[in-house]
Amino acid sequence: MKTMNGSEHVQKIVQTLGQQVRRLEGSRPAAAETLVSTGSEALDWLLPGGGLSRGTLVEWLAAAPGGGAGSLALAAAGAACRDGGALVVMDRRRTFYPPAAAALGIDLRRMIVIRTESDADEYWALDQALRCGGVAAVLCQPEKLDGRAYRRMQLAVESSGCLGMLVRPAAVRGEPSWAQTRWLVEPLASSGGRRLRVRLLRSRPMLGQRAVELEIDDETGITAAHALPLAAELADPAAHCRPAGA
Amino acid sequence: MPAAEAEALVGSGGRPGALHLEPHDAEADRRALEQLALWCEKFSPVVGLDEMEPGEGLLLDITGVAGLFGGEQALAEKMIQALRRRHLTVRLAIAETIGAAWAVAHFATPTTACGLAHLIPAEQTQDALRTLPVEALRLSEKTVTLLGELGIRTIEQLLSLPREGLSSRLGDEVLRRIDQATGAVAEPVRAVRSQPTLQAEWLLEAPTTRSEQIEFVLQQLIEQLAGQLVAEGIGALRLQCRLRCEHGGPLEFAVGLFRPSADSRHLWELVQMQLERLRPNAAVSELSVKATATAPLECRQQQLFADGDQAAGRRQLAVLVDRLSSRLGGPAVLRPRLSADAQPELACRYVPLTGESTKRRGGGPSISAPAHRPLMLLPRPVALAEKGDRYILCEAPSGPFRQNVPVPFFPSRFIFNNTPHQVHRHWGPERIETGWWRKRGIRRDYYRVETDRGSRFWLFRRLNDGQWFLHGAFE
Repeated sequence: MKTMNGSEHVQKIVQTLGQQVRRLEGSRPAAAETLVSTGSEALDWLLPGGGLSRGTLVEWLAAAPGGGAGSLALAAAGAACRDGGALVVMDRRRTFYPPAAAALGIDLRRMIVIRTESDADEYWALDQALRCGGVAAVLCQPEKLDGRAYRRMQLAVESSGCLGMLVRPAAVRGEPSWAQTRWLVEPLASSGGRRLRVRLLRSRPMLGQRAVELEIDDETGITAAHALPLAAELADPAAHCRPAGA
Repeated sequence: MPAAEAEALVGSGGRPGALHLEPHDAEADRRALEQLALWCEKFSPVVGLDEMEPGEGLLLDITGVAGLFGGEQALAEKMIQALRRRHLTVRLAIAETIGAAWAVAHFATPTTACGLAHLIPAEQTQDALRTLPVEALRLSEKTVTLLGELGIRTIEQLLSLPREGLSSRLGDEVLRRIDQATGAVAEPVRAVRSQPTLQAEWLLEAPTTRSEQIEFVLQQLIEQLAGQLVAEGIGALRLQCRLRCEHGGPLEFAVGLFRPSADSRHLWELVQMQLERLRPNAAVSELSVKATATAPLECRQQQLFADGDQAAGRRQLAVLVDRLSSRLGGPAVLRPRLSADAQPELACRYVPLTGESTKRRGGGPSISAPAHRPLMLLPRPVALAEKGDRYILCEAPSGPFRQNVPVPFFPSRFIFNNTPHQVHRHWGPERIETGWWRKRGIRRDYYRVETDRGSRFWLFRRLNDGQWFLHGAFE
């Protein structure tokens, strides 16, 4: 990432301005603005502040089943727990498999898995977990999410500083969302290791999209497939038409 | 026996992995000992646990009891026999003081006269102790080391020293232990039974179905119980509530906690959640609340999520876990634990976070996770249908197959969740077999499969019949 150094100064200014804008928007006190890494340098680089803000919702849209979105979300949730706090996994479908999480370097002793029986219980438990100060991140796969439930989740994480990781199918792309950050994870057929294209669809206050190709390897973890992330792509017009937030 | 030694013993039998290891559970040991203590009440009304760590002894006060069994000798023999029937070998000593009996039981060499029992008449207490090492006095390790450095190894040597010097140099511990052993100070046996039953109950004069009234009474009971807990310096880990109804059986429910608590507000909140789910339809005549599992309030459990000074976060977390378990039920709020089982479905176990002793939910032995496991694993593998239209069998594509593993066919296409998937590449096989001694042993060859769209799945072929299954996805 040598080319980054030259533009570092500019980046810094942009970062400061971005923070000022957010402060003016006044949705949250400035003190709560702490950043955590996504667990991958390449993804951090795409984000305006260089990381995810605590107390926000992050959407990981999976373009295809078995496409790696869950692993990226879990790795980011694990990174958020590095300074303490528990990782809560909502496992409504009983398909979450902890050995894979352990292989990603996640401490299972800090993990709480919640297995609910009904949608009502699921949303109640999710809300409780997002609201809890002792929880650093929550990983969930909400089946359907209406505007009110979504807004409620947003308020919950704002009050606690917890990071809410939502893994959802890419089909919900057109639906309104309260997430501050939205990723689209597409698997790529490859000839070598596992390849994913990750697009940052939204990260307030940034507009437009940026993308990076990642390679996932069991030994080296998540790395950028290219020396530099792909240049910012032309914004998907559909992304602009959507009102930000609701 | 060290694990490595056991491994070697079993391994020499031929089958690796036949050894089953369980983490040591001191809490369970203690519970078992407590049960044994209660059983031993047929020999003495006052049975207590040895306070020394690790607790492995029982103390029986047999003052005035021996006569009922025909003398101390007969009592000792009866006990040894009865315990042997329970497959327990004991070392037993009868002496004038707890200290002397403990010392002799632990350190005296067994005499031939009566098997493993030692009988020390009152006037011989001092003589019996003389030759024993100083450890026999139930001294701390630190003191024993210190005495060793001073060249004092036996109790006789210790007793010959002036008392004043002992106390100023080694602290009160040594003198107290000597006096307890010789009987200069009294030491009562603290009976297991005497532990207070933490319970509160209320009889309603007129049975009621009104929920406000029931709630009010329960709240009062919990406040009473919390008062008892606070007085004892302990917190509840599990509450048992019982509502006796006029007609039909009683309604019972339990509330488990993540961290012991004696806070009546917190306990009430948890009970209330359960109560909401269980609406009594018959008139309730009697209510009781009982703490069935408790632990000291300032607890070691804090280490669970110990990270410096994040006490507030941990407290909030404990409240969260209690709330979740209370409404969803204990088995819904879990901590995963890896276990060394080859079968993927069994390589992970879940431990409920509440109402259990903390040791069991701790980390357990560290087992490294196997590589190449999917994040999404179906609880039951889905068979890829045999019909030609569901997936098409074709000749095995070129791949690094092991010579001795015949894989004549590999699915080139399969349908999962109504979506067709075209197999692009695959890796494997990883053979997973469990032993024939298991009721339902498995023999599977697992493959990681990448589709033409880049999705990755975990497929396996059942070796018994060649049937293909989808077991997971690398989400």
